[in-house]
Amino acid sequence: MQSKGTLKMLSKQELKSESAESWGHGSLPFVLEDDISKQALLLTELSKKVINMGQLRRIASQGIPDGAGIRSTVWKLLLGYLAPDRSLWSSELAKKRSQYKHFKEELLMNPSEIARRLEKTTVLNNDNGKSESRCVLSRSEITHGEHPLSLGKSSVWNQFFQDSEIIEQIDRDVKRTHPDLHFFSGDSSLAKSNQEALRTILTVFAKLNPGIRYVQGMNEILAPLFYIFKNDPDEEMAACAEADTFFCFVELLSGFRDHFCQQLDNSVVGIRSTITRLSQLLKEHDEELWRHLEITTKVNPQFYAFRWITLLLTQEFNFADSLHIWDTLLSDPEGPQETLLRVCCAMLILIRRRLLAGDFTSILKLLQNYPPTNISHLLYVANKLRGQPSR
Amino acid sequence: MGAYRADDDYDYLFKVVLIGDSGVGKSNLLSRFTRNEFSLESKSTIGVEFATRSIRVDDKIVKAQIWDTAGQERYRAITSAYYRGAVGALLVYDVTRHVTFENVERWLKELRDHTDANNVIMLVGNKADLRHLRAVATEDAKGFAERESTFFMETSALESMNVENAFTEVLAQIYRVVSRKVLDVGDDSTYFPKGQTINVGSRDDVSAVKKAGCCSS
Repeated sequence: MQSKGTLKMLSKQELKSESAESWGHGSLPFVLEDDISKQALLLTELSKKVINMGQLRRIASQGIPDGAGIRSTVWKLLLGYLAPDRSLWSSELAKKRSQYKHFKEELLMNPSEIARRLEKTTVLNNDNGKSESRCVLSRSEITHGEHPLSLGKSSVWNQFFQDSEIIEQIDRDVKRTHPDLHFFSGDSSLAKSNQEALRTILTVFAKLNPGIRYVQGMNEILAPLFYIFKNDPDEEMAACAEADTFFCFVELLSGFRDHFCQQLDNSVVGIRSTITRLSQLLKEHDEELWRHLEITTKVNPQFYAFRWITLLLTQEFNFADSLHIWDTLLSDPEGPQETLLRVCCAMLILIRRRLLAGDFTSILKLLQNYPPTNISHLLYVANKLRGQPSR
Repeated sequence: MGAYRADDDYDYLFKVVLIGDSGVGKSNLLSRFTRNEFSLESKSTIGVEFATRSIRVDDKIVKAQIWDTAGQERYRAITSAYYRGAVGALLVYDVTRHVTFENVERWLKELRDHTDANNVIMLVGNKADLRHLRAVATEDAKGFAERESTFFMETSALESMNVENAFTEVLAQIYRVVSRKVLDVGDDSTYFPKGQTINVGSRDDVSAVKKAGCCSS
């Protein structure tokens, strides 16, 4: 939270948003009313036989009220996992969930199991008599290529050892996902099973996408999706959260996957080019601030925006606030990236006074620890950056 | 705390980078040194993080600007930009995971590719508190450090063991290099090839000698 000392340094505009923040959640009647009306609007929209996506995006972009599992359904619609036509839901969900089950069975198999199956088919072909025994392979029967100590490229074990490096990395990061939330962290069985789900999804994704595999930070993008779907009050939805999260994660990442790909770092779709676009956006809308940051103090936008953009702002704000930002990102019909860049630009503009007064060190510290902000106000400012530059 | 205010009260500003594999404890070493904090379950670092702390060396105030980088291979292309202007490095491995020690060689190569030869490097074996899980012998690391002419220390960010020493030693060594250079006007050919100056950064750069006025290249 802001201390009184820092509050003094806030601009008038920021102060306004600060005090709005301090009113807290729902303690103002109109905030509550606003949430209730939004909830009613969304529920009405969701109950239609065929959902009007334009309408849904419009309402959802203002923020989806917590509770009633609305966000869970709306995000699935926004990510295209659920079709607008409700009559298709149950069959499509069943299909996807069974597909995910299949992925797991195929991809998460232990190599000794693969070797056993391989051997079993060989045995079946060569020797009809012994095929029924479920015994572990005897050493002499293992083909050289499939021996655990074989370094041959074709060895499933070689693949396994490569995978295990990735799996260890996934494991380390899953354990470090939202250490402040009981849902993800700690020794409870809830946290343990949720971590297991994150681990499985990331492993399946890594194996299905050998060009990208697992990149640190993917856990942070996965976490909000799983959290929302797992907490759906609809029990069936909650029970299938892992499968649903997997497909929504793939969909969400498809718009950003190039940021995770080292080979594309210097290409027009890579992370550097996206960061440059943020810089250009700032220059268009606030050239004085842009000049101060990039020319005067030489703060390379990579030093802060790399994390902002790669993690879709999940590490810059508290969890509830990042969910609110995601409502807006996911609602944009152009896809989340343009909105993301506008929000990042608005983050800079909102604290421009402090940035303009800072030197390299103080600016970087401020941007790497972004101060608590009224999110609705931030999104409002971001939305005003659409289209023509304001100055 | 005047966290957002520039504290200008220093004689030297040195940029130091923390490198090493993912999960070896770089971020905790940084938070232990700069804020005396440790967290068993801290988030993984994406991109770069940054903290400062000033210490006294001889009668001078040395401000360390310490950069903490992501450990995963994928991020190395990006983090190479963060090496610019660095005059010191802590190359961290985890004494309980041998693979992180094996990778030290690659990190060292990358560091030497991106920074000046006079960069002060300290090899740091972290998590030394986990005695029963030790997988890298102190002697092995010491031998490696001697061969590669780097400094070496084992630390525990958790127990706050040697963390202060490791950073302070690196900063003091950098200070020694820089102050010697000021005194000798770059004439010490046993330390520095003739005509080569220690790259502690130009005035525009991050690591700059503030009042010594030596870097008017």
